[in-house]
Amino acid sequence: MRREPFEFLGTAREYFGIWIVNVLLTIVTVGIYSAWAKVRRQRYFQGSTRLAGASFDYHARPMQILIGRIIVLVILAAYNLSAYFLPQIVSGIIGIAFLFAVPWFVARGLRFRARVTSYRNVRFDFTGGYGGAFLAYLLGGMLAWGTLGLLAPIASQWMWNYTLGNLRYGDRPIQCDPRLEKLYGQFVLPAVVFFAGVVLIVGLGVIAFVAAIGTDLDVENYLPSDFAVIGIIAAIYAALLPFFLLYVLVGLLYSAGTRNVALNETIIDGRHVLASNIGRWRFAWIAISNFFATIFTIGLLRPWAAVRMARYLAGATALYSAGPLDDYLSTVKDSEGVVGSEFMDIEGFDFGF
Amino acid sequence: MASEPETPGAVAGRWHPPSSSRGVAASMRIDADGVVSVADAEGHLLKEVTLVSVEVSPRVGSIPRRLTFGDGAVFETDDNDGVDRALTPLRRGAGLIHNLELFRPRLAIFVVLVIALAAGIYRYAVPLLVEVAIAATPPVVPRLLSQSALVSLDQTVLSESKLDEPSRAALTEGFAGLAANTPRGAEGYKLNFRDGGSIGPNAFALPDGNLVLTDQLVTMMKDDREAVFGVLAHEIGHVEREHSLRQLYRAAGVTGLVLLIGGDIGSGAEDILVQGAALMSLSYSRHQEAEADRYSVELMHRAGRDPAALARFFEVMRDQFHDTAETDFLSTHPATPQRIEETRRYAEELSKEPAR
Repeated sequence: MRREPFEFLGTAREYFGIWIVNVLLTIVTVGIYSAWAKVRRQRYFQGSTRLAGASFDYHARPMQILIGRIIVLVILAAYNLSAYFLPQIVSGIIGIAFLFAVPWFVARGLRFRARVTSYRNVRFDFTGGYGGAFLAYLLGGMLAWGTLGLLAPIASQWMWNYTLGNLRYGDRPIQCDPRLEKLYGQFVLPAVVFFAGVVLIVGLGVIAFVAAIGTDLDVENYLPSDFAVIGIIAAIYAALLPFFLLYVLVGLLYSAGTRNVALNETIIDGRHVLASNIGRWRFAWIAISNFFATIFTIGLLRPWAAVRMARYLAGATALYSAGPLDDYLSTVKDSEGVVGSEFMDIEGFDFGF
Repeated sequence: MASEPETPGAVAGRWHPPSSSRGVAASMRIDADGVVSVADAEGHLLKEVTLVSVEVSPRVGSIPRRLTFGDGAVFETDDNDGVDRALTPLRRGAGLIHNLELFRPRLAIFVVLVIALAAGIYRYAVPLLVEVAIAATPPVVPRLLSQSALVSLDQTVLSESKLDEPSRAALTEGFAGLAANTPRGAEGYKLNFRDGGSIGPNAFALPDGNLVLTDQLVTMMKDDREAVFGVLAHEIGHVEREHSLRQLYRAAGVTGLVLLIGGDIGSGAEDILVQGAALMSLSYSRHQEAEADRYSVELMHRAGRDPAALARFFEVMRDQFHDTAETDFLSTHPATPQRIEETRRYAEELSKEPAR
C-alpha cells in the first residue's frame, strides 16, 4: 500500500483577492454574482486540493447555480409566507409536506455535487435515493435529538453510510461502513465534556443568581405584557448562550471523531483505503478560533480562516492506494439536480469530504 | 508536469484521454491561427483542433488550468502564465475577474467599498426595496395575513369578551369617531373585543385594520376611557403606517441578502448575521412604536380628544408593572419614562395649535 497524502496548496493571500472580489461583486449585483462567486470559490478550494500530484476540479456552471438559487429562494419564501397567510391547518400540512421533500432535495443535491466534481478527468457520481436520505437526514436527526444525543452514533452511521457509501468514482463504487462500536468510542469524550460543562454552567449560574438576589432584582418587571415579551426573550438568550457554546464544542469534538472513524473505513473500488487522523481538540480549536477571528475582524480574516481549516483537514487525510489510480473511466455525462444542491447550500447542510 | 517544453510557446502539462483518469506528460501550444495542438513527450501529436472548439477554464488563483476538448479529453497544466501567454495573441487571457483578484494594494479599496456598500444597502437600499414591495402589495395580502393571525390567536390565547354591552357600545362609537379622522376612514377599521387571557391588558392592530382590545386593558384603565382611546389611536398609527408589512419585508429582505452571501462568510458568521439582523429589527420596531405614539397624539388632537391621554396609560402600566428602565436596547418598545415624557411634550406642542 502506498500512502498518498492529501495536500491543500491554497494560500490566504491568494484567496483573499478571490474572496473580496466575490463579496464586492455579489453586493454590487444585488446577489446575482453569488452564483459566479460560488463557482470560483469551489474551483479554488477543490483545485487547490491535491492528491498524488493531481487536483480536484469543480465543473458546475454559474448559470445553473443561479437558476437553482432563484428556485430555492422562491420555494423558501413561499413556504415561509404560507405560515403567515394560510390557516394553521393548511400551513401545517404544507410544513409536513416540505419536511418530507427534504430527503429528495438532499439526494438530488448530493448527486449534483458529486457529478460536478472530478479528479484526474473522472467525475464522481452519487447513487443514493430518497429512502437513504430519509433515514440519514430525517429519521437520523430525530433519533439523535429525540434521545438527547444518546443514539447519535446510529444517526452518524446512517449519515456517513449514505453520503460516502453511495459515492462513486467513475463507475467504481465507494464503500463506507463505519462500525457502531467505533462510533460510540468517539461518543465518550464529547459526553464527558458535555456533563462537565453543564455542571460548570449550572454551578456558575446558581452563584450568579444568589448574588443577584442581594440586589434589587425586580421579577415583576418581566410580567407578560405587550411591553416585556422581548425582555423575556433576551433573558432566555443570555441564559442559553453558555449552553449553546457548549453544544457547539461538543458537536465539533464529536463530528471530528466520527469523520476519522468513517473515513478510516472507506474503501474506494475495493482496494484504495482512506485515512483520517484529525485531532479532535485541535479541530475544535481551529473551528472556534476561526469563528471569533472572522467575527472580530468584520469578516476580513475569513479567507485566512477558510484556508487554515482546508489545510488542516487535507493534511490530516490520506489515501492508501493499492495499485495505479489511472485506469478509471468517467461515465457521468449530465448533471441535473442543481436545485437540491442549492437548497442544501442555502439551508446550510454541510458534508465534509 | 516536469518535462521541458521543446518549442518556444509550448506549455508543459498532462494529457488525459477522453473520460479517462490515465495521465501522460504532454505539451500544448497555440499557433497564430488559433490552432491548439497537444503532443506527448516523444513529440507524437495527440490532438490538433481550433481553439473555438476547446473550453479553457477561467483562471482562478494558481489552481491548474484545464483545456477540455469536445470528446472529453483534457489537457491540464500548472503553468497558468504559459496558457495566458499562448492566448494573448488571440485576444484572450486570464480575464478581468482574475486580474481584479490579484493581491494588489487596490484590494484595500475593495475592502472599503464592501463596507461602505454593505452599510449603504442596509441604510438605503433595503428601506427603498421595502417601500417598493409595500406599493406592489395587493390589499388582499394584509387581509389574508390578518385573518389567519386572528384565527390563530382566537384558537390559542384569546377568548370571548366579557365586557358589558354599554361599555362596548361607548368604546365602539368613540373608536369610529377616531377612525373617521384617518385617511382610511371609519369603514377601514373594526374594533374587536376579546378576553386577553394570558396576554392580559393589551391592544394590537392587524394590518387590515382590525384592532383587538382586551377586557383587561379596559378594566385596568377604570374610568379613564380617554386613555383607552389614546392606545387605540396608537394602534391605528401602526395600521396607517403599515408597520407589520414593513417589518415582514424588511426581515425577509435582510435574511435573503445574508443567505446569498453565506457561502463566502462561513456558516457561523452567517448565523450571527441572521441573529444580528433580528436584533436590529428590535430597534427598528422601537422606532415604529415611537412613530405610533406620535400618531396617537396627532389623531387624538384631530378628533378633538385629549392628545396626552396615551401618557396616562403608560403611567398606569409603569405603576402596575414597575416598568422604570431608562433605556433597554433589547426592548421592542421605548422605555416607559421616556415615552411618557415624549408624549406629554408632543401633546403640549400640538395643543398650541387649534384643533382642526
